[in-house]
Amino acid sequence: MFIQNLLNGLAIGGVYAIFALGYTLVFSILGIINFAHGAVFTLGAYFTYTLTGSQFGFNGILARSQLPFGLPFVLAMLGGAALAGLVGVLLERIAFRPLRARKADPLLTLVSSLGMAIAIVNIIQYLVGAEIYSFPAARLGRFFVENPAVILQVSGRPVPIRTVQILIFVVSMVIVALLTYLMNGTKVGKALRAVAEDGTTASLLGIDTDRLILITFFLSGFIGGIAGTLVGISVGINGPYFGIAFGLKGLAVIVLGGLGDIPGAIVGGIVIGLAEAFVPADYVGYKDAVAFAILFIVLLVRPQGILGRAVVQKV
Amino acid sequence: MADFLSTYGFLIIQMMFAAMLGLSLYLPLMTGQLSLASPGFYALGGYVAAIMSTQVFTLEEGQAFPIAYVLIEMGVAAALCAVVAVIVGIAALRLRGIYLALATIAFVEILRVTSLNLDITGGATGIFGIPQPLGASQKLEYLVFAGPMLLLCIFFMYRLERTRVGRAFSAIREDELAAAAMGINVTFHKVLAFTMGAVLAGLVGAVSAHFLNTWNARQGTFDAAILYLAFVIVGGSRTFAGPILGGLLLTALPEALRAIAGNADDAFSVFLRDGRLIIFGVLIAVGTLFFPQGLITPDIFNRGRKKKRGLTQPVEPVQSVREAPNP
Repeated sequence: MFIQNLLNGLAIGGVYAIFALGYTLVFSILGIINFAHGAVFTLGAYFTYTLTGSQFGFNGILARSQLPFGLPFVLAMLGGAALAGLVGVLLERIAFRPLRARKADPLLTLVSSLGMAIAIVNIIQYLVGAEIYSFPAARLGRFFVENPAVILQVSGRPVPIRTVQILIFVVSMVIVALLTYLMNGTKVGKALRAVAEDGTTASLLGIDTDRLILITFFLSGFIGGIAGTLVGISVGINGPYFGIAFGLKGLAVIVLGGLGDIPGAIVGGIVIGLAEAFVPADYVGYKDAVAFAILFIVLLVRPQGILGRAVVQKV
Repeated sequence: MADFLSTYGFLIIQMMFAAMLGLSLYLPLMTGQLSLASPGFYALGGYVAAIMSTQVFTLEEGQAFPIAYVLIEMGVAAALCAVVAVIVGIAALRLRGIYLALATIAFVEILRVTSLNLDITGGATGIFGIPQPLGASQKLEYLVFAGPMLLLCIFFMYRLERTRVGRAFSAIREDELAAAAMGINVTFHKVLAFTMGAVLAGLVGAVSAHFLNTWNARQGTFDAAILYLAFVIVGGSRTFAGPILGGLLLTALPEALRAIAGNADDAFSVFLRDGRLIIFGVLIAVGTLFFPQGLITPDIFNRGRKKKRGLTQPVEPVQSVREAPNP
């Protein structure tokens, strides 16, 4: 039981972590929480679903239609994530850049990103309806059909783990590793960190800030799309609003890790995933409150996050 | 006219509730605190009314639910919200800006999950069959509650902005440190503003529970918090008239789009009808760009007054610290 909870917690925590990374990337550069990230996450799952050649349901104007071809799952996921990334770029152009150009109050940006979230969620509903979609297991490849679960032997007792959970954890760790390399090992990453540190100085030094912000939004949308797909294959796409619940927990994760802190977001995601997995069975109804209870306590005790440093506010 | 009222009676009352919920978020914002806790208190007030009217008060067969009972429920809801708000406020108002917003979101979510799991709140199905004090036929009859409440709110807010407490609020909003240096008790006023917003949201919730006939955990969620924020930002966050106008307009907008589309079958009408929330979202996003101060700014009122008093020189509005460009 312990091992099973641990592995489930790690899998869901991995998704929380990469979901939160999408918030974190944008926050570290702009100092603004992109409330449309949950909607982009949802879109990513729908894009992947579409690209695998699966059919839509009975509602919406695309009812009963499907692509004439189906991509293998890995390609569909990457394609879906890339499309979600492009939506991220579109968001930055429509909801963020015009306000930034006018040096508007951050509160306005928050509301405009929220307006876009409402628009995206309802576009999805308009196109494909509000029903639940689940990925046909066959699309994942024969391996996952033949081995729906892996049985581990722990001190003589069998512990079944869903193969999909293992896939989710592996993919999220790969994303985390790639992103860490991108931020620390490449020139783009260096430029991103420079803009995060001080946008004005960075642009004085010849860094094209606007281009980097676009790249950030693309990356954020891309990993958001992957996270959406992973949750989609695990529990199904639970209607156009399913990103909203994740969006809220993502907020808890980034605060726990420290706003704008990349390693912090990863640790925060895993911690919250594990905390939820270890909620006793009698109190399982309260599982969704765990993240927020942690959030509330962290904010009161240590507002700078687990790994964060206190920011001295100058007057 | 009677047709119009019977079709849109529900919407009219909802618009008035929305205006007051916008105000409940505007109140803490008067001290510069972005709190998204209003839906939590709205839900709390609703549960108080729902539980009291179905389990505490007993009615004789055929007796209409007395309005006095509703007023008692509103009193209890207000008192409970005030107590919770003071406790949460003292803890959370040490935080600023986005951290405070996140803490209040956490508060709302914890309340929501708790109400999903308790027996007294009816769990996931919620509480059904909340008695109707005014006869169930016409929702418009709730004007008896919504009308006086909204008028009282307007009067109260109008006075508040011109009293010592209201001026202390705006002093804190403009510069907390300077306000403290002038001898204003910053914590007291912040908690006061937060509590007033909470009480207002709780009162609206208590009436809403009767109005909607049923109450469950879907009332008062994070989405609602952001919607109230949109009321304030779209309407204007510098004067109390802003959230009221924002609440009225944004609640009416999707229904207005539906009415424009009518029953026509062409693609455009179908889009207006089924895609009205898409338009709603885009308008909120675009609205922040074209009306960064919101639809109503204090200048609108001041301009008129200056003329009356014969002043020709307009007074520069004080820029808030937040709006100043980065040094």
